Amino acid sequence: MAKQKSSNNPFCKKQRGTPTNEIFQYGFFSFATYCILLCALVIFGKIIWEGTPVLLRKGSDFITTKPQTLSVVEAVESEGIEIPTENFDNILGSNDDDALPFANIEEFQKAFAFKRFSLLPGSVIGEGYLKNIEQQNEGFFLIYTERNTENPVGFTVESDKSISLKTPEFEQLQSLAPDLLPDEISTREIQLNDHKVTIAKGEYAMSKTAHDALVPTQLIFQMRQGFPDDEPDKICQSVVPETQTITIDSTTYFAAFDEDENGTLPIEAEEQLPKKTTFHQFTLSKGNYSAPLPVLAILAKQGIATQHNLTRGSIVVNLDNPTELILPAADYDQLLTANPGIKVEGVADFEQKADYTRFDLTKDAEIRIDIEDLEALNRANQESGKFKISSEHTHSYSGGGILGPIVGTALLVIICMVVALFTGIAAATFLNEYARKGAFTKSIRLAMLKLAGVPSIVFGLFGLGLFVMLAPSLTSTPHTESKLSIPLAPIASTPQLRVVEDKKIHMETRELTTSEVVSAAKANNQAYFYDGWTYLSFQGWGTCMLAGGFTLAIMVLPVIITSCEESLRAVPMGFREASLALGATKWQSIRTAVLPYALPGILTASVLGITRVAGETAPIMFTAAAAERSDLPWEAVQATGFAAFVEFLQQSVQALPYHIYTVAGRIPQSEYTEPMQFGSVLIFMLIVMALAGLSIWLRIHFRNKIKW
Amino acid sequence: MNSMTQEEPKNIEPTANLASQAVDLSPPETPDAPPRQATEQSEVRHAETPTSDHLLGLNTMVEIDDLSFSYDMGKTNTLKNISLNIPEKQVTAFIGPSGCGKSTLIRCLNRMNDLVETSCITNGEIRIMGQHIHAKSVSPIELRKQVGMVFQKYNPFPKSIYDNVAYGLRIQGIKKKNLLDEAVEKSLRGAALWDEVKDRLKDSALGLSGGQQQRLCIARTIAVQPKVILMDEPCSALDPIATAKVEELIMELRRDFTIVIVTHSMQQASRISDHTAFFYLGELIEYGKTDMIFSNPNQKQTEDYISGRFG
Ligand SMILES: Nc1ncnc2c1ncn2[C@@H]1O[C@H](COP(=O)(O)OP(=O)(O)OP(=O)(O)O)[C@@H](O)[C@H]1O
Ligand SMILES: [Mg+2]
Repeated sequence: MAKQKSSNNPFCKKQRGTPTNEIFQYGFFSFATYCILLCALVIFGKIIWEGTPVLLRKGSDFITTKPQTLSVVEAVESEGIEIPTENFDNILGSNDDDALPFANIEEFQKAFAFKRFSLLPGSVIGEGYLKNIEQQNEGFFLIYTERNTENPVGFTVESDKSISLKTPEFEQLQSLAPDLLPDEISTREIQLNDHKVTIAKGEYAMSKTAHDALVPTQLIFQMRQGFPDDEPDKICQSVVPETQTITIDSTTYFAAFDEDENGTLPIEAEEQLPKKTTFHQFTLSKGNYSAPLPVLAILAKQGIATQHNLTRGSIVVNLDNPTELILPAADYDQLLTANPGIKVEGVADFEQKADYTRFDLTKDAEIRIDIEDLEALNRANQESGKFKISSEHTHSYSGGGILGPIVGTALLVIICMVVALFTGIAAATFLNEYARKGAFTKSIRLAMLKLAGVPSIVFGLFGLGLFVMLAPSLTSTPHTESKLSIPLAPIASTPQLRVVEDKKIHMETRELTTSEVVSAAKANNQAYFYDGWTYLSFQGWGTCMLAGGFTLAIMVLPVIITSCEESLRAVPMGFREASLALGATKWQSIRTAVLPYALPGILTASVLGITRVAGETAPIMFTAAAAERSDLPWEAVQATGFAAFVEFLQQSVQALPYHIYTVAGRIPQSEYTEPMQFGSVLIFMLIVMALAGLSIWLRIHFRNKIKW
Repeated sequence: MNSMTQEEPKNIEPTANLASQAVDLSPPETPDAPPRQATEQSEVRHAETPTSDHLLGLNTMVEIDDLSFSYDMGKTNTLKNISLNIPEKQVTAFIGPSGCGKSTLIRCLNRMNDLVETSCITNGEIRIMGQHIHAKSVSPIELRKQVGMVFQKYNPFPKSIYDNVAYGLRIQGIKKKNLLDEAVEKSLRGAALWDEVKDRLKDSALGLSGGQQQRLCIARTIAVQPKVILMDEPCSALDPIATAKVEELIMELRRDFTIVIVTHSMQQASRISDHTAFFYLGELIEYGKTDMIFSNPNQKQTEDYISGRFG
């Protein structure tokens, strides 16, 4: 029966193996598909699963605060700990709710004594004190033009202090400030040998301590590079051009040739020269003093705390009008005692109230706390001594939020898109509307296709070479490492003293050739030089958002140009013809009858471009991104007007993908660093998905709207 | 000829010299314009050819003189030795089978073929209002302001109706609202569209029907006050009723403008045109009064084509 049927059936199965084969193929393909889906599900699920609680706990703070170091402290059980409420909330956000043994939480208002005063022009004030005022008064920033070393400076001795000075210093003290010295001065002789050391010719690693100790001696040596201010522990390479023998005193000897430390010079031969040194010893009793600057310099070495700049002197306040400022009362008192040359008027007391929270810690506990909150906590409980920690360890970048990276990424994307759209649209317009169709445009298109396939790290290196180190800029203070500086025109104004100091500018007033000025600047370990000319200097823009934005722009340019061209091609020829037939010039017709109708397509494509750019790490790694940056880019800008804009563009930024790379790949991993990782990745994913969604929406929107 | 070029602007548009107030629309009086004498000579010569009899007593607007045109740098000629004069303020129809070069010729008249990079005039010349239009001193921009064009596929910009009509004036730099308003209304009235759209001037032009869109394109063209309007199969995408409206409009327009129209519809040609030229394979076969061509053609090919035996 069955046989009969199959012979009648013209579609009966012929080959035996077929059905199993079909099933196998179906199985394989569906397995591959579901595998990928599953992987995606697992990864995204994990990110969402882990990231959401972090976002919920930290709330909007996560995207409105800057990244900072996370401290994990073992706090000792205590009662009545006080902390500003804001910081208290942050602590709650950083920890799992049930992990904290807090009790008796109560909010209250705490009052702080402040002083309001007017700072008068002509005041003389120490550098550290000025910076404190600037910190406390937002918007107050003094571009000083003059220093003063004559004016006496004040200092406070907290408790009786015994001072012991060598003869030359003592004599200086005696001549400059005889009033300081008490009647009772004892003299002591100590055997302190001089050392005669021989250093062989060669190249050595040198630390800053050794360097500072050796500079005043007769040793001739040269540094291969300068010590950066922000890395005092860095070891630099030095060259001793020939074998030398020098005689130095014991202090220098121990500073420069301390065997325990890294970066000390090896001694070829040494000999002790017996020498007796006289020490003058006296006690400086507790109180406030006023003395010339050199005296304070001598005493500071003996441990007197001061915020005066001991080498450069005080600053002359060059304000036009009295300026109203505020300071905490304690800081104000310190300011007045330390600066005899200060002139103030209209001093008034006032109170500032702040929201504080008081809580008990019912048992010893491990608390995750951002470093700023920890500082606030310590500060608030300094006097009462109620907050004590038994141990502390820190995790960089794992605390706070991700405001800096978000802002940085946004800025990079904006700069990139402005540059890329501008050049991209121009290039696409040229290729599609102006250029003759031929071998030339074909080869350009081919080149662009190739460019789109170049790995992004190569773009990063390209950006480093071109924008960071070589791009031309117009400046009156070129970098000494500039590849080529072409003097353009003499300029009238000289940079302000504060700028000169902050930027390490070598000032040259003599008429010298550029190369002489450069070598003089280098010899003085200054990064920039000034000799009264405006230069076109090929020194690059430095690691800054401008360089990063340009690098990213070059990277997306092929994509942008291609999609712009597509959009232009999609504009019907009829529009161009109609416009030309009405007497429009070529540019008029492009501007009024082509570009406006290509714009939706360009927009859609560029939003997709943004998604790509926002996610790139490699191109910005060398060109724009800083792992650590405590302020937002515009907060560091000090210039005004157009110069401020330029300075703003020259700031480095944090960027979201680079931040994720840092927290997930560069710092030691632990359970404490995880919340930041998942939180940032989730936010980043949301942003990218929102952009992709926007692009899809735009596409649908325009497709519905435009029908020609 | 002499009187034509100089007095035309005043005669043609008695009411609307508005565009010419802001921008001088008359052809530039360049020193290297060909001497009048030469133009008169050529006219005389053409008058002697048998095909030009029907033009006697009419002012000539466009003179095409032994024109050969190539799309591929002169390798093959798409148009071959075409000579014909187009009279002023008349409707001249070009007919012929597909691919015979009607569009090519009409696009030569306002130099739209300049857009094709490899195109070139291999022989002869075109004079409009006595001026050799491929002369160095002629700007195609100025030429196109005088010689407007309406395309086969109606192509209004995706802007409002008002902006479409004002487009030509705006690119000439006219910004004054009242001038534009006036010109838009006049052009729309001229294109017999005013009553239909006067309440929706700010609406998108793409919301109009096909026939209305084509008339809008005509309005857009007459807004810049050209002397000549070239129409390349303006009705081929329209239904009979819309076609009738456009035809009616063309009859109206012939009072003020010189119209050259390419059409595939014999009926249309016979209804609206005063003169008809028949082309075949890039050559001008016959040119004469429309009634003559349709009732009593000289050439066998013409007769065959008109009676629908080929093409
Ligand atoms: N841009 C161009 N480049 C090259 N050749 C062209 C171009 N435009 C038209 N041609 C060629 O020139 C010849 C004449 O074309 P044209 O468009 O003038 O014909 P037509 O008479 O208008 O035909 P139809 O009635 O179909 O519109 C055709 O063989 C065509 O292939
Ligand atoms: Mg055609």
